[in-house]
Amino acid sequence: MAKNKVSFKLKSKLSELDTLCEYLERFGQSLGLSKKCIFEANLALDELFTNIISYGFKDNKEHTIEITISHKNNKLIFSIEDDGLPFNPTKAEAPDLECTIEECKIGGLGIHLAKNLMDEVCYQRCKEKNILTLKKNIKEAEPAKKRAKG
Amino acid sequence: MEIIEENQSGINIFKLNGRLDSNTSQGFEKKIFQAIDDGSKNMIIDFKDLEYISSAGLRVILKATKALKREEGKMMLCDMQDYVKEVFEIAGFDSFLPIVGSMDDALQSF
Repeated sequence: MAKNKVSFKLKSKLSELDTLCEYLERFGQSLGLSKKCIFEANLALDELFTNIISYGFKDNKEHTIEITISHKNNKLIFSIEDDGLPFNPTKAEAPDLECTIEECKIGGLGIHLAKNLMDEVCYQRCKEKNILTLKKNIKEAEPAKKRAKG
Repeated sequence: MEIIEENQSGINIFKLNGRLDSNTSQGFEKKIFQAIDDGSKNMIIDFKDLEYISSAGLRVILKATKALKREEGKMMLCDMQDYVKEVFEIAGFDSFLPIVGSMDDALQSF
């Protein structure tokens, strides 16, 4: 039976993106989510995680980022907790999407993607930690296809 | 990620297979810019077997497109999965990057 909740810890290094992907795929497949839905969730969490480890820590120590994924009432709920510098991505400036190729800059794009791929993004600073809660509406998980009889 | 390089009538073709993210984008950047340094002006990136792209991958494609434009060359992107194309659309990149359906369409545009 599909589990409704999974928590795991990632180290503050880029190679952990593969671990993130593995957890998301396993969780998504157990719920029968579409490839597109798993992809979008993966991309949003990738961008926020990459942002945290690229800009969140000023020391050279290894940090831990805790991720929780759960499923309730046709919503996927994600939380990302880190002990880095305070940073509220919901207040980050949106990139200029009307720009020409010459003017186009890549800064801020990751957060823009994450916000667009989720239905809700909520930020809290609590006990020296950044806590991001993301919600994504999903359609009713499709039951496994029955084999045609006869 | 695996990158297969081919050359067809002077056009450099890069076939991407796997995941283009912050871990793999540097290798891709190196390959593309090596080709530009070697004088390549026309390129096609084949997305058929690409499963995943993040903003790190978009950054390399933007940088390479700009570099080719300066050399009066061009880059075509083809055969994307719908959800990969959606990333280009959300980023607003589809307004200035030529994305076409198939490799044939890409080849014919040169």
